[in-house]
Amino acid sequence: MITYVARRALLIPPVVIGVVTITFVLFTALPVQYQLNAHFGTPTSKQHCGYEPTCECEELNPTSVRGNTCTCLSPPVQTTKNGVCTNPVYNEYVDKLGLQRPLIVQWAQYVFNAFTFQWGNVSNHSTVAATYPQLEAQPVATAIAWELPYTLELAGLSLAIILAVAIPLGNASAVNRNRPVDQASRVMSFSGYALPAFLLGSFLVAGMVLLFLPHTGFLVKTPWCRGGEPLDEEFTYSIPQAQACYPNLAFGASYPSWVQNGIQSTPTGFVTIDALIAGNPWLALDTVIRILLPALVIAYGAIAGILRFVRNSMLEVMNLDFVRTARAKGVPESIVTKRHAGRNSLNVTITVLGLTFAGFLGGFPVIEDVFRLNGIGEMLAIAADPMPGLDYGVIFGSTILFTFLIVSANLIVDVLYAYLDPRVRLG
Amino acid sequence: MASTLEPAPRPHRPHPHLDQMKRTWYFFRRNTLALVGLGIIVTIALVALYSAFLPLPWTSVPAWCATDYGPADTLSGYPGNYTQVCPTTGPIICTYEVHPPPNAADFCGGQWYPDVVRSNISFPSIIAPTFSLSPFSPGPMPLGGLTEASGQRTPIYDIVGSLERGSDWSLMFSVSIVGLGATIGLLVGAVAGFYGGYLDEGLMRVCDVFFSIPTILFVIVVVAVLAIDIPVSGSDGPEIRIVSMILGFTIVWWPFYARIVRGQVLTVREQKYVEAARASGAGRRRILFRHIIPNSVYPIFIQFSLDVGTIPLLIGSLVFLGFGSLLFPSQPFPEWGAISAASVFDLQGDFLNSCYTPATGCVIPYWQLVIPGFALFLFAISVNLLSDGIRDALDPRLRR
Repeated sequence: MITYVARRALLIPPVVIGVVTITFVLFTALPVQYQLNAHFGTPTSKQHCGYEPTCECEELNPTSVRGNTCTCLSPPVQTTKNGVCTNPVYNEYVDKLGLQRPLIVQWAQYVFNAFTFQWGNVSNHSTVAATYPQLEAQPVATAIAWELPYTLELAGLSLAIILAVAIPLGNASAVNRNRPVDQASRVMSFSGYALPAFLLGSFLVAGMVLLFLPHTGFLVKTPWCRGGEPLDEEFTYSIPQAQACYPNLAFGASYPSWVQNGIQSTPTGFVTIDALIAGNPWLALDTVIRILLPALVIAYGAIAGILRFVRNSMLEVMNLDFVRTARAKGVPESIVTKRHAGRNSLNVTITVLGLTFAGFLGGFPVIEDVFRLNGIGEMLAIAADPMPGLDYGVIFGSTILFTFLIVSANLIVDVLYAYLDPRVRLG
Repeated sequence: MASTLEPAPRPHRPHPHLDQMKRTWYFFRRNTLALVGLGIIVTIALVALYSAFLPLPWTSVPAWCATDYGPADTLSGYPGNYTQVCPTTGPIICTYEVHPPPNAADFCGGQWYPDVVRSNISFPSIIAPTFSLSPFSPGPMPLGGLTEASGQRTPIYDIVGSLERGSDWSLMFSVSIVGLGATIGLLVGAVAGFYGGYLDEGLMRVCDVFFSIPTILFVIVVVAVLAIDIPVSGSDGPEIRIVSMILGFTIVWWPFYARIVRGQVLTVREQKYVEAARASGAGRRRILFRHIIPNSVYPIFIQFSLDVGTIPLLIGSLVFLGFGSLLFPSQPFPEWGAISAASVFDLQGDFLNSCYTPATGCVIPYWQLVIPGFALFLFAISVNLLSDGIRDALDPRLRR
């Protein structure tokens, strides 16, 4: 077993280096000032012209004898003709990043940076800094470390829902093949497959806001959230009230006290656990309720794919000889399906679930965007907002992070698979 | 006498492949759901064929127009003040702070040309002009009906017409991305599985590399990098953006197919008929292309039809995340995913905000969600049903 794990783990670095190389190729294709911005983040106030190679004139001086010379404010003060100054900061930072060195050295440096979590800095020109001012000029790795627990909570809850639904339903539809249960699960699988998450999520958000909020006061009436003010009889509410209760529902942001900066939850990083540590179970429950709906949407989409696998592997196992033997021995049908067939069909299921979870770790840009949740996906979505400018630091940093996560999840799946099925590790 | 000794005339047998196809069609025909799926797909394909002859959804203007709209904050001829906002980093995409955002293509040399009509506002269509969902909503279906209430002019957008207009784009994207991915994956997987050894190991590690790239993220990065200096509209911008999107999707798409095909080839190459072919002196290449690949395409075929339905959803997700302006030359682009995402996107802010005060009575243009969503749903479901029908008809074990 240990040999198998070691052999399998040895394959990880080449794969990661491969992905990082692809990332490097794309990174190198960026204009130099974008590379500098992605790596060094927000320019300091001293860097008047940022990372641009040239600087517009600050002051045109036509009185000069030699024609139009201009004074540039970016340090050191210098004068040129033509109305454009070369930006001394540009050259300095090009040297700092090592862009003047041969490509192979740059590549080695990039790979080294990737493995040592030096993924650049958040830039102030992007929406990330505008949305989360506290992230500005932070290292990308730090920003990711703050955001990742939110995504992990969501992924964990989704996985729990999937486990609770997909495996029993898949087994049931395999046992009752072509009967109503099977047809129903088929329809569910189809519809989950064909309905994009952003549509389903928006439907749910709209429905929740329209149906529950105004008429029943369902969300506002919850004992742990009154928005600071008592509600009147008709349950009408103001936006600030709702905002205070449900920061995630497209209102804006307000956070419990132990969440610093609006992002970084202390001490563990997981808001739910921190709420329990802070001794406030109601708020922990509230947090779970907030991510329940998005988790349901995620699970609904994922179940569509997993159901097929569970059903097919169960069908295959149920036709095997040992199941027939068990039946012939007179073992009750429920035990045959549960123990003999069910456990043996678990191999494929675990593989698929593991890969699904690996996919989850890539974040849920769409879901987190729809439900206005914190998380890697949301950060990525705003980092790639083309309007004020893309945050290439965050984008490339998260690509590298996802690669690490996906590769290690694959390793865990392989090891689990080998653990469950001796034929794999011995073959 | 002699005639009686002659062997009885053989019954006419069609060519074996034809025979196989007839048998498949026989089993396929008995599956009602699959027939429904086929019908819907054929209908969509016919509409797409019609709309492929309609003019392109972006205005083609001379290249100098797109680059020459300049840094001016007030351009003559345009009613109202606006400022041009350009990003300091990232791709050069300029937007305007005033609604309606004027199309960059309308500005040539600092002059606003409103008669350079944005062709994406209304498309010539078969059914749209007379089509209104009168029982549900009278009149035309506006995109952003609620922004109109808040005092901003928004384009009236014909949803059904643009769905019709976008059918060819959706089909084109789906088929080209998945087709390219499947072809590359088929070749790589077949070669890796057939030759084995170090070649197999190397190709599969390359496969792992591409497998570990997050899809949506990678497409964004590829488009952002390749289209970085290309203006939003112009003579050569649109094509490069669209091609780079297809390229980005393809790069992350093929490893799925390579893995599937490799697994299949590993079983097929041990079959008796491959051995027979080898014994009768067939070369390796002949065995690979005539015996192994034709016998391992079935799972890829099924995966293909499953994936075709996913592409518009993925493109929709990208547009929903706000990359519409990055991916497509005109907004909203007539692609099914993009249309539905644009509808949702448009609804999200204004509709929610206006509905917080029930007294004003908020109108929910729910059809903006329902119609494009239903189209996407129908497309994905029918492709799914079709693929299930084909699999059931092809696989003798499932025929009973």
